[in-house]
Formats: sequence, structure tokens, C-alpha cells
Amino acid sequence: MTGKLSEMSLQTLWLALLGLLLAGYFVLGGYDYGVQMLHGRLGGDEEGGDGGNGGNRGSGGSGAVGGPTGRNGALDAIAPFFLGNEVWLVAFTGVLFGAFPHLEGTLLSGLYPLIVAILVGLVLGNAAVQLRGRARGARARRVWSALIVFGGALPALCWGLVLGLLLHGVPRRADGGFRIGPGAVFSPFVSACGATTLFLFAAHGAGFVALRSAPHLAARAHRVGARLLRGAAAAGSLALLLTLFGAGASMTNRTTSAVVAALLLSAFAAAWWSFARGHRVRAFAATCCATALPVLLVGAGHYPYLLISSAGQGLDIGHAVTDAATLRILSGFGVLVVPLILAYQSWSWWAFRGRTGRRHPSYF
Amino acid sequence: MSAADLARIQFAATTGIHWLFVILTMGLVPLVAVMHTRAAFTRDPVRRAVRERMTRFWGQLYVINYAVGIVTGLVMEFQFGLSWSGLSKFAGNVFGAPLALETLIAFFAESTFLGMWIFGWGRLRSGVHLTLIWLVALTAYVSAYWIMIANGFMQHPVGYEVRDGAAYLTDFGALLSNSSALVALAHVTLAALTTGGVFVAGVSAYHFLRRTTETALFRSSLRLGLWMAAISSFFVVVVGEMQRPVIERTQPMKDAVLDGSGVAEAQARLVREHGPGDYVPWQDTLRISMDVMTIIGNTVSTLTLVAAVLLWKDWLLRRRAALYVLVATVPFPFVASVGGWVVREVGRQPWLVYGQLTVEDAFSGVSTATVAVSCAVFVAVFAALAVTNWTLITRFARRGPDATQLGATEPLPPAAPLAGTAALVTER
Repeated sequence: MTGKLSEMSLQTLWLALLGLLLAGYFVLGGYDYGVQMLHGRLGGDEEGGDGGNGGNRGSGGSGAVGGPTGRNGALDAIAPFFLGNEVWLVAFTGVLFGAFPHLEGTLLSGLYPLIVAILVGLVLGNAAVQLRGRARGARARRVWSALIVFGGALPALCWGLVLGLLLHGVPRRADGGFRIGPGAVFSPFVSACGATTLFLFAAHGAGFVALRSAPHLAARAHRVGARLLRGAAAAGSLALLLTLFGAGASMTNRTTSAVVAALLLSAFAAAWWSFARGHRVRAFAATCCATALPVLLVGAGHYPYLLISSAGQGLDIGHAVTDAATLRILSGFGVLVVPLILAYQSWSWWAFRGRTGRRHPSYF
Repeated sequence: MSAADLARIQFAATTGIHWLFVILTMGLVPLVAVMHTRAAFTRDPVRRAVRERMTRFWGQLYVINYAVGIVTGLVMEFQFGLSWSGLSKFAGNVFGAPLALETLIAFFAESTFLGMWIFGWGRLRSGVHLTLIWLVALTAYVSAYWIMIANGFMQHPVGYEVRDGAAYLTDFGALLSNSSALVALAHVTLAALTTGGVFVAGVSAYHFLRRTTETALFRSSLRLGLWMAAISSFFVVVVGEMQRPVIERTQPMKDAVLDGSGVAEAQARLVREHGPGDYVPWQDTLRISMDVMTIIGNTVSTLTLVAAVLLWKDWLLRRRAALYVLVATVPFPFVASVGGWVVREVGRQPWLVYGQLTVEDAFSGVSTATVAVSCAVFVAVFAALAVTNWTLITRFARRGPDATQLGATEPLPPAAPLAGTAALVTER
């Protein structure tokens, strides 16, 4: 009896770790994507010294120095964390395969077109962020910049679509597999979820730029962030309305979902309020919650199901999880490694804390 | 072409391109770490400056190369689930564990620490900064270990039993000490060190051909690269040979094809054991790849050893023909490594998990049109990225240490677009 019980709680712990990794990726990768989308507007590459700082621009032709080196304030803000952020997704996939192999195969092959779109965006955006600084001329840099924006926007949109599908349920067949078609992806509810994350990640990125940049840029980022957040709230409200009218999410645990949704709404409200008042730390904390909570909504809202089906049986944790012997071995490593990961990631955030500026070597 | 074939091409393109960048990553990172260590422990300011420039120059080439390595690695992680869900159905209980541990133990740390190393110049304490590059090097090889454990299970499954059509892990120790994985890991490690050494030696030789003024820097890196390549390429051949008995024991068909005899007997035996089917991999491809790898391995081993001996009294630096040969050698370890990959993975066909699951049976059953589109997109994107990246590496390698951007601690230009910075400057 206790053996059965501890086995179940071990499974739940691994599900929690899986959720933590995905939420961590949404928070950290989310601001990367937001900054990528906004780096043209918030980088200050071409529009240096706007707002009555004309003398600044004219000082000895050194404005030209900013041009050819192509420094971008927004990309400088994410630079030291960028490589450490993407790996949260890799770790999520690794744990998905290791601990929940029967979900991994079904989920990834079922969502094939969306996963491919996310990966293409990731590959291009990630490479472009790393290689843009190596470009020789302004033209090559413009191409990289366009790829950086594309590589931010496409995953931001598609992750929302994935969340929407998971909230709504997928058409599972008798053999347990499923295929999504354009009809399912572009349904009003799923599209609204996609628009929500697109705007939300962008606002989150603006919040991060505000947190790390010099006051002038921070103020601009706040204005942009508040506008984007209104877009995210509008799209999110549409998704909520569709759910209330029965055309959206069909949650397994109604009460839990309502609580998480309420928390999500308050995070939106807090973020908007903080953006409007210029509280940069509070605004970023609020967008962090807003990007992480959708993961909790999917996980806790459907528990014990990991995949619900619009027609028929869902996939519950017991059928998705790996064999008990494997899980015990993984747990032995996990107890040591997960705190270590959290420790060195926190260390990297601490080591590169503070606003960007003269003491930060630029590379990206 | 069937959907499974397209998915195969997609997987091979991703892995192949990933591998070409990974091998240089693994080969360069220990060299960069050694250079960084020597710089950190040099007292004399002039020599220290040279060694620091050296670290930053080679470090930047390593980091540019890493960009494609990491993005293709990201896609690799998803490929199994996307196209080969049969693998997770059959072997998920066993095969998933090393992949999960690779990401948690190694990849996570490698990427985080590399980000800190790139941006740590002049910001982190010297000892901490130096530790970071060693951690990056260590985790790169830990990552290789876990990947080879996963791959070893595909080549020669151990430590499991099959119940109701699914594999269950019974002996974790056996999985971790799989001979097929460990010997291959040693071979791959030495191949990577050879590739890195030849690359560093070749680029250094190029700068001597161009009559560089940075003689101290490039003499030092030429010496380091050549000795590394000479020693590892000698052992890469030896360890490569050590794989043959393992193959003979675990993969009789691959062994027969490489020997060029006994293919028909092996086929008959496999039909007896696993039912009717074609169990013969592409024989010519396999043999040609093996020969190419062997010839390049022996040639590079001889060349680098001779060149290393000729370093004595700078004799090598005065022989332009010898320097040209070193520059021309740079691509060959990459070609050989692709040959090795083909022998290992094409030679495994038609099996995905040897003797247990065929590639065909593991296919997800995604529609042909979908796979065709994704395959075309991935191949185009990866090919474009590879070419762009190699162009950039070549450009920065040719420009020399003066053009290095990594760790350049120049202050923001006074009229940088950030008004706050400008205000700071005015205050002074």
C-alpha cells in the first residue's frame, strides 16, 4: 500500500518537475522572445538620443560608432542569460522523454506541424542572436535582425497554440495517437490563446528591457509594455469568454482551473498597473507570473490527465509515466542535480545583475 | 519516396550537421581551456597579454561554431518524438533515461556556463572565469558520454528485458558500461581532439603564410594544436581498431559487410532469428566510408607527427610548402568523422534498436506531405546555417586576433544610443 502510494507521489513529483521546467522556459525563454520581437523598437540602434538629446547625437561623429558596431540595448539586456535560457526547453524535452516517454511520442508526433514551426523559429532566432554581431555590414545585420524578430514571434505564437490545444483537448484515436489539422489549430479559442502568448511574451520582454536598461530606454519599454499587455489581456479575455460559452477549454478540475485563471487575471492586472506606474521590478515579477501560470493551468487543471481528448479517453499520468524502476533511478539523480541546476542558474542571474552599461562586455 | 524515408533524411541531415559542429566544439574547448589557464597563470604582463589575446581569438572561433551546434542539438532532442514515436513506445523506459540525464546533468550546465564565460571577461574574478571554461569543457564530454550511452543502446541493447512488447530497464549498471558505447566514446573523443588540433594548427599555419606579426601567439597555438593532433590521431586509429571485436560480437552483419565476406550467412542467420526481411545495409557506402576514414586517419596521424617533430628550432615555420599542407589538412578530419558516423549508423540499418526494433516500425506515421515539408525546411535551414557559419568562422580565423570581438572590453562609445550612458559620461 505504501509502496503504491510513494510510487504515485514520485510520479506526481516528476510531473511537477516537468511543469517547473516548462514554466521556467516560458518565463526565461519568454522574455528572450519578447526582446527578440521588440529589439528593433527598443534597441535604440538607429534612433539614438531621441527626445531632445540632439547634442548627444552630434558629439564628434561618434554616433557613427554606435551604427557600425551595431550594438543593441535590448539584445545586450538578454545577452548573458540567453544561452542559459534556451536549455530549459531542452531539459523539459529530456525529462518528458525520460520520465513520461508515452506522452512524449504521442504529444510531439501529434503536434508535428506546430512543433516543427517552433523549432524552425528557435533555430533561426537563436542562431541569429548569436551571429548578428559577427555581420560585417548594415545589410547583413538587417537580415539577422529580421530573423531575430521572426525567431521570437513564431515560437511565442505557436506555444500559445499548443497551450490552447492542450486546454481544449486533442482528437485521440483508438490507438492513443492523434493528428491535429488546420481546423483544430485555427479554431477561435486556440487562435486566441496563440495571440495571448504572442502579446504576453512581447510585454514580458519589454518588462525585462525596462528592468535591465538605462532609465531613458526603460521608460520607453514601460510604455510599449503597457500597450502590449492590453493586447494580451484582450486576447486572453476572448479565450476566457469562449470557454464560458462552452467553445473553449474543457477543464477536468473546474475549481482548481477557476482559481488558477483568477490568479492569471490578477497577474495581468498587476502587470498593467505596474507598467503604467513605472514600477519596473513589480511589473517584471507580474509578467513572470503571467507567463508561468498557463503551465499550472494545463497541469493542475487536467490532473491526473496529461492529455485530454475531445472524443474519448484521455491519457493519464499512470499511462504516460515511465516504468517504476527507471523512475527511481532518475529520482536518485534528480535529487542531486535539480537543486544544483537551480543554484548555478541563480548564480548566473546574480553575477550579471544590474543594468547594462559600460561594465558589460558586449558580444551578441 | 515514403514518409519514413523522408523522416530518415530529416533525421540524418539534423544529426549529420549537428555532428560536424559538435566535433569541433569538443575538439576546441579543451584547447581554449588550456590557453585560458596558461594566460591566467602568467605573471609577466606582456606574455600574459599575448596569451589572453590567444584565448579570446580561439575562444571566439569556438563560440561561433557553438551557435550551430546548440541549435541543431535543440532540434535533435525533439526528433525522436516527432518522427519516431515507436522508439518511445518500445524503449522509452530505457532509452529516455540517458537522454533526460544528459540534459539535466550536462547540457544545462554547459550552456549556462558558456553564457557566463562569454560575458564574464573583465566582470568575473579571474579564477571564477577560468573555472567556467573548464566546467564547459567537462560538461561537453559528460554530455557526449550520456549521448553515447543512448546511442550504445541502439547499437547493442543491454540491461533490459522485454515484457508485453516493451523494454524495461533491469540493469542500469550494464546500460552505463555498455562496451559498444564506451569504446565508441573513446574513439569519438580522440577524433574530436584530432579535429580541434588540426584546425588550430591549420589556422596558425595560414597566419604564418601570411607573414603575421603575431608570431608569439601563433607559434604557441601551432605547437599546442600540432601536438594535440599528433597524439590523439595516433590513438584514434588504435582505438578505432579496438571497436572491431565489439562489432564482431554485437553486430555480425556490420562486421560481415566491413570484412566483405559472410554477408549471405549473416542474412540467413538474421532471417532465421527475426523472420523474413532484408537485413543488409548499404554495402558500398559502408565500405567506402570505412576506407575514407581509415586512409584519412592514417595520413593525418603521419602528417601531424612529422610536422610536430619539425617544430624543433622553428624549422616548420620556414617551409612554406609544409605550412600549405597543414592548412589543406583542416577539412579532412571532418570528412573522416562523417565516414565514421556513416559506418556506425548506416551499418546499424535496418535496425533502430539492434535486433529489437526496425527503423520502419518505429516511424510515427505522420503523413508524407507533412514530413516532406518539414524535411525540406529543416534541410534548407540547416544547410544555409552551416554554410553561413563556416563562412563566418573562416572570416574571423583569417582576420586574426585584431578582429576578435569576444571579451573586447572597450567601453560603450560616448554617443551610444542609450541616453542614460551618455548622461553618465557627461557627469564625469
